[in-house]
Amino acid sequence: MFKKSIMALALGTAVVFSGAASAEEKIKIGVSYPTPTHAWAAGMNWHAEQAEKRLEELYPDVDLILVNSPDPAAQASALEDMVSVNQIDALVVLPFESDPLTDPVINVKESGALITVVDRGLSKEGIEDIYVAGNNPELGRVSAEYMKSRLKEGDNIVILRGIPTTIDNERFDAFMAEIEGSGINVLDHKHANWNRDDGFEVMQDFLSRFPDIDAVWAQDDDIAIGVVAALKQAGRDGDGMFVVGGAGMKETIKGIMDGNELQPIDVLYPPAMLATAMDVTVAAFKSNGPVAGRYILGATLIDKDNAEQFYFPDSPF
Amino acid sequence: MEESASAPKCVLAARRISKSFGAVPVLFSVSFDVCEGEVHALIGENGAGKSTLMKILAGFQPPTSGDILLDGEQIDLPPNGEAEDLGIVLIHQELNLAEQMTVEENIFLGRELTSRGFLDRLTMRRQVEVLLKQVGLDIAPTARISDLSIAQKQMVEITKAMNRNARILIMDEPTAVLTPSETKLFFRQVEQLKKRGVGIVFVSHKLAEVKEISDRVTIMRDGQWIGTKPTSELSLDDMAQMMVGRELSDLYPPMNEVDVDAPVILGVENLSTGKVKNVSFDLRKGEILGFSGLVGSGRTELFEAICGVVPVDSGTIKFDNEVVNFKSVSQARNAGLSYLTKDRKGKGLLLLQKMAPNMSLFSLPKFIKNMMIDQKAEEKALARGIRRFDIRTRDADIRVGDLSGGNQQKLLLAKMMETDPRVIIVDEPTRGIDVGTKQQIYHFIAALAAEGVSVVVISSEMPEIIGICHRVFVMREGRMMGALTGTEINENEIMRYAAGLKEAS
Amino acid sequence: MSDTEVISAERKRAFSIDLKAMGPALALLILCIIGYSLNSAFLSEGNITNLLTRSAFIGIIAVGATFVITAGGIDLSVGSMAAVISGVMIIIMNNLVDTFGAGAVTVLIGCGCSLILGIGAGWINGALTTKGKIEAFIVTLGTMGIYRSLVTYFADGGTLSLNFDLRGTYRPVYYDSFLGLPIPVWVFIGVSIAGWVILNRTAFGRYCTAIGSNESVAKYSAVNVDRIKTATYVIQGFCVALATIIYVPRLGSASASTGVLWELEAIAAVIIGGTVLKGGYGRIGGTILGALILTTIGNILNFTDVISNYLNGTMQGLIIIIAVWLQRADWSKKKV
Repeated sequence: MFKKSIMALALGTAVVFSGAASAEEKIKIGVSYPTPTHAWAAGMNWHAEQAEKRLEELYPDVDLILVNSPDPAAQASALEDMVSVNQIDALVVLPFESDPLTDPVINVKESGALITVVDRGLSKEGIEDIYVAGNNPELGRVSAEYMKSRLKEGDNIVILRGIPTTIDNERFDAFMAEIEGSGINVLDHKHANWNRDDGFEVMQDFLSRFPDIDAVWAQDDDIAIGVVAALKQAGRDGDGMFVVGGAGMKETIKGIMDGNELQPIDVLYPPAMLATAMDVTVAAFKSNGPVAGRYILGATLIDKDNAEQFYFPDSPF
Repeated sequence: MEESASAPKCVLAARRISKSFGAVPVLFSVSFDVCEGEVHALIGENGAGKSTLMKILAGFQPPTSGDILLDGEQIDLPPNGEAEDLGIVLIHQELNLAEQMTVEENIFLGRELTSRGFLDRLTMRRQVEVLLKQVGLDIAPTARISDLSIAQKQMVEITKAMNRNARILIMDEPTAVLTPSETKLFFRQVEQLKKRGVGIVFVSHKLAEVKEISDRVTIMRDGQWIGTKPTSELSLDDMAQMMVGRELSDLYPPMNEVDVDAPVILGVENLSTGKVKNVSFDLRKGEILGFSGLVGSGRTELFEAICGVVPVDSGTIKFDNEVVNFKSVSQARNAGLSYLTKDRKGKGLLLLQKMAPNMSLFSLPKFIKNMMIDQKAEEKALARGIRRFDIRTRDADIRVGDLSGGNQQKLLLAKMMETDPRVIIVDEPTRGIDVGTKQQIYHFIAALAAEGVSVVVISSEMPEIIGICHRVFVMREGRMMGALTGTEINENEIMRYAAGLKEAS
Repeated sequence: MSDTEVISAERKRAFSIDLKAMGPALALLILCIIGYSLNSAFLSEGNITNLLTRSAFIGIIAVGATFVITAGGIDLSVGSMAAVISGVMIIIMNNLVDTFGAGAVTVLIGCGCSLILGIGAGWINGALTTKGKIEAFIVTLGTMGIYRSLVTYFADGGTLSLNFDLRGTYRPVYYDSFLGLPIPVWVFIGVSIAGWVILNRTAFGRYCTAIGSNESVAKYSAVNVDRIKTATYVIQGFCVALATIIYVPRLGSASASTGVLWELEAIAAVIIGGTVLKGGYGRIGGTILGALILTTIGNILNFTDVISNYLNGTMQGLIIIIAVWLQRADWSKKKV
């Protein structure tokens, strides 16, 4: 990541120095997001870099400036620099946290730039022109729908949740709402913090505690890896047992393509959402139709039939 | 005793105090009092119960039975030093100063002056300056305690007590670490305190000082009250005899002369390290060599360099006719050279550990069998040490910090002797220990020399240097001022060298 | 004073000492009773095996930490160190598959590298502390950040995964059993016994205690303080490497979130076990119990839905404090 921030920095300075000649005609779009510290974010970073290359090739007069920041304060400073140093025409921002970044984004807006907010909304309404986000409740609902299609009344499932946050609650509540009335028993739900090791240990304990489990909702592909290891260790990975993860990790999708029965599907929480937001923002300058609005990306159910289009072997995620 | 306890001017009195720790009684019905403007000395061997009595007088420990009277009224002293608010201040032997804070911060610690919620540094500094001048202490109020010498720290403690308007000052061996000149200065201060009406409890092992400064003396032995008398009625011998309970005619052992042709075992030429400059001397087999001088004259640094604790800057050291330069204490130990520190609690013993691990620590490689520590051998060594050095304890499992000073010193000697050294350097070997133990230690040293071990005694107490050493070197400000032999070894000569009035050419 | 008084006083003392030493064991026993009463499956063979295996990582690291802490030091870098060692180990083994195949040779070379890395990383911590004269807290806080960011860098922010063919070869190191006990538990037992012997029966252990009690005394007693202190960090690094060797085959991956907070768990295990944080007194047996207590707490919380998930941290905190209170509280004084 270090090398990437250097790259972004070098890119930024290059723009400043070469700016005199071509600054007038170039459309400059700043892209600000947290430094990736886990695999999903690394995937997002990768997709954003791909999009940068693709869009700049496609539109020579578009200049995308990617900057990632390790904490909210650093992100706020990065936003200030984008306005003062780079004089951006548009901003694509995935805020670290909603509250501390609301004011810095308003300042950018006051400079006249177009604002695109990604994934995490700001604390005040009406700041952003474009909003692009994944759909957390939908992820929970689609997962539950799949469970219902595979299980019958009286079957038992356990749930491994993420880190206690709003995202986790939205996913969990939507899942529970969908599963209600189906007769499927949710034996218990515990936090596994979107972490493989925690997934392994929580699942081990579920297996000791409940002799009859028919399926597992792991909510996330990292947790699912731990869950699968625990199932294999206990020898309870057969008999139609299955695990539903989420997010769209490349290994998981490869498994689906190869017909893995233990993890037959995945529910997408697209790591490419930042790339999508960049596309939409560029379109705001290039399209002949109106672009502003809210883009809620679907929580697509990935199965054997459509897996290939979500498989990016070069992405870290 | 009874009539003095009821004397009108007495500020603080203890009546028939007894104290037990668990099942072990340490004080048996002891009475003690101190009046306005007097110095009341409390003497006794280590383990006689002086410390416990002091702590009870200052409220740090409650008595098991008996009464404490303040201004004639019975009182339960508040614990944890809160008795300071009543004007009773105990100055511990291990000084109670915050090492990383400055002199003025320490003096006002816990009772800082404030103005409008902020520290009033200016007023505090002025007051401290005045106090320091009164004590005759030439240090800045902003000096950090950790940068001061022990003597200066002692003075800061007294200044601190004065600043608290102490009515009763209980001092645990205040002069143990002071040089003669510092002691004089200190006594002048005590006189002033007396004039101001402060009552002083003075605990010391230095009987000459007790004789000089105190008005009354209370002698204790084995937790019992032996007697309280006006100082003028007691001679030094009387005091020693009452403390020990036996005749102490031979404090110093008879001196064995060294063979004239005894080989030189340690030869030092032009050694420099830190502030020590160009020091040369030699030590023969079986000889007891004294190193005298004022505190801070460089004696400790000299021998720490020889023993590999600190590096040597220049010069040569010959040990057993071979040039050596010990890079570590372990090299020196392996060669047969052992240094016994003067800072027994800070550098000598692990106070929270038991006796056996302390005893074997210095010579641990000797106790290794099949890569493991031979615990049986350790126990045997401890039993041997206890016997040889007469370490007195109720319980072999006792933590070393709970031993009396004299027993700690004996344990330290035993620890050093476990390495079977050929040369030992003992730095202030009798600091803060009672006369009975002193006598024992002098006899150990003489016996070791008679066995052929060479001994260097570094001491600020002239009588012991004179009493046990064959030859005496005097140092001043890092330099060797001169060597004394035979009848030259007397206080007058030593003092002239130490004070820089005389120097060997 | 009569004889009976003496005896009762002695008894009181013996009782209070026992209780202090037994504090952690008592806490673990209480936890087990609570676990069993919540769900009898708690004491099932499978769960006990899981518990022991899980304790092995923190336990092995904590045995190393016992040495560091006993000698008056602290090592905050162990969690990050474990992460970076697993990462580098995976990279090395993946690259060796082409040369040596997916057999035991590759795995052995990987394990060897892991040990070398652990010892090296420990030595760096030790040398910076002793020769560099920087407080251990700062040194290891620094290396903690360095190792953590290095593993993120190696993994490109994502996850490093072990080659799938290698997993088959390496898997048994975590999942197989010998005489009914999983291999990680055997390693844990081995490290514990070795740790106990070294700390309590060798000159090195005695020196650690002496340095932790009072560095000056140790120095004046011919102890090579710098060398011994550095050695404690090397032992710590070695233990981290051992833990990593049994950790990697479990999930075959390493990422920036590997080993997060292991340093605090290891230190907590050491202190719960009765070792004194400022040094001078160490108990390997207590450390092992401490590690078991920590894992058992997590295990029990997974076994019940009585307590809100959000309060897991509260329960852990309470139990840690109670376990330490059991051994620190001055029982004998209360009776006076």
